Amino acid sequence: MPSLTPQRLLGLFLVLPALAMVVLFFIVPLSASVIGAFEVEGGFMGGLGLDNIIKAFDFYAQDMLFTLVIVSLSTLLIALFSIGIGGYLTLGENPRAVAILRWLYRWPMFIPFIVVGQVLRTFLAKNGLMNGTFVAMGLITPMQATSLLDWRGIVIAFVWKQTPFVALLVAGAMASIDRGTIEAARNLGASRLRILFEIVVPQVATTLLVGMILSFVTMMSVLSVPLMINAQSPTMLTTDIAFRINAYGDYGVANALGLVSLLMASGVALVYLRIAMRERS
Amino acid sequence: MDASERPFLDLTGVTVSYGSTRVLEGIDLGIGKGEFVALLGASGCGKTTLLRTIAGFIVPDAGTVSVGGHDVTRLPPDRRGMALMFQSYALWPHMTVAQNIGYGLKLRRQSRADIARRVGEIAAMLGLQGLEARKPASLSGGQRQRVALGRSLAVDPEILLLDEPLSNLDARIRLSLRHEIRTLQQRMGITAVHVTHDREEAMVMADSIVILDKGRIAQRGTPEEVYNRPASAFVAAFMGAENVLTLSGSASGEGFAIAPGPFNAGCLVPDLLPTGGVEVRFRAEAGTLGPADAPPPEDGRTLRLAGHVVSTSYPGGIWRHAVRLGEGAADGATVLVDAPHPVAQGQAVSVLLPPDTFFVFPAAGDAPPPASDSRSGDRRRRLEVQQA
Repeated sequence: MPSLTPQRLLGLFLVLPALAMVVLFFIVPLSASVIGAFEVEGGFMGGLGLDNIIKAFDFYAQDMLFTLVIVSLSTLLIALFSIGIGGYLTLGENPRAVAILRWLYRWPMFIPFIVVGQVLRTFLAKNGLMNGTFVAMGLITPMQATSLLDWRGIVIAFVWKQTPFVALLVAGAMASIDRGTIEAARNLGASRLRILFEIVVPQVATTLLVGMILSFVTMMSVLSVPLMINAQSPTMLTTDIAFRINAYGDYGVANALGLVSLLMASGVALVYLRIAMRERS
Repeated sequence: MDASERPFLDLTGVTVSYGSTRVLEGIDLGIGKGEFVALLGASGCGKTTLLRTIAGFIVPDAGTVSVGGHDVTRLPPDRRGMALMFQSYALWPHMTVAQNIGYGLKLRRQSRADIARRVGEIAAMLGLQGLEARKPASLSGGQRQRVALGRSLAVDPEILLLDEPLSNLDARIRLSLRHEIRTLQQRMGITAVHVTHDREEAMVMADSIVILDKGRIAQRGTPEEVYNRPASAFVAAFMGAENVLTLSGSASGEGFAIAPGPFNAGCLVPDLLPTGGVEVRFRAEAGTLGPADAPPPEDGRTLRLAGHVVSTSYPGGIWRHAVRLGEGAADGATVLVDAPHPVAQGQAVSVLLPPDTFFVFPAAGDAPPPASDSRSGDRRRRLEVQQA
């Protein structure tokens, strides 16, 4: 190992504030929370044990699955809608429709999750705006009206809120691919749908995947939407964590649930890092 | 091509605008089956727009495009039996060479075995064997353009449209691909329309050259015709006759008599031009340099100019001299003349232009020239040469 010359020391000194920030505000709290998941009274080696983890799985295994399914399903739907929006913006032949869509689709991005939850709560309820409209149009009778304020409501809220973000990324990537590759396919007789899925989407696959992963992690951490739309069981892990802390002051199980969320997010983060590595090489 | 028959690819009165800008103005162009036509012009002249209109990516405001007697003006690009090759190659980066070449056949619902056989044939024809499983990113520029050519040819198009396909390639690869494309086109009997701004490329590849200027056809002819008998000052300049002189003369029985001027002797040219100012254009290699006191040519048809050498350069093979004509005269000009041996700077010389090596056109403004809207461009070019 080379000796610490003054220059090297200076370099270390310069990076120190940033490093301290990362350690202090990120690594320490995260580690504390992870360790907290294993802290029990009278446990092994002065208070370590798996009690919190076991309790978390006993009480909330169903919610873990619920969270994973809801977020995965939402991510898939977001991807589909984003491809649809980006595809229309790239391949659409009606300039006016393209302009309107380009102007409209970004709005939900600027609306906070809590407002999305509130808006959809009044929209999707049994006698909410949506069912009211359907009844008024004669599509359904008042008896047939059902509330969508359950898992479906959460999925709708997530997709509604996150699609613009992913669509923005995807549409940007689509706009920057060589138009020649689209025209060459058209020249050979490919339909617009085939061009979208065989020519355009493969060329923006990395961007799409990154958008999906970022959305997945964002949705994992949303508390307001499940709290407002789905005040029942099963629900999402964020609600459970808040409940453990607010109702019982039970940081141990809350930390254990947090660890499970972290592992789910890490799974997709791993995919993200792999893509980033592959792109750099 | 039978004159009474309609050309295979026939454009009549094709007019295209982008917004309020007219890009093509009443283009009439007939291309025979199996013919190789080069669309030549400076950037912005509308040549790519014309090609894209033929391909079906642009619907003209007026006029028709027909193929084999059928009006295809409003047909989508894939229903015209045409394949387009792009300047950017436009290969699909996520597909292998074989998938790129075979995609058109896949769209035509051919069986896997048929596709594989055809892809094999095309790869063999274009020297791409062994590269079928590679992605475009791992190919050289020349190989990529061959794949793009293979992709176009795989579907057996009747018409091949080439949009400056060679302009991104190295000079050496460009030369060999020119030859290859031309050979394949002749062997397969495909009708080809090739857009380029490279004069030499158009000359060596095409049966017929169409020179476009500001959305109109300035001249159409064989390479030899447009080179040796340019129809307008614009075409002459575009075909390399960059030296320009403004002289005057009068119509005479046999043609046109150029009057002696401050730096030129009189001479007779066969062109039938009205009395007045004329624009004389010639290439640097057209003239010969001689001593200033050389005897005047006796045939009366050679144009003799007097001046002195202001600089020399060696572009290879010959020496290029900048010759200032008309000592101190306000209306003098500088021309470039090639010679096999260098002539010292400051030396007084005469420039001799034998008949048929210089072109005479009515001076801009004096008479209506064939391409009236190219005047300002010519003036600009003349200034550039004078400042050279």
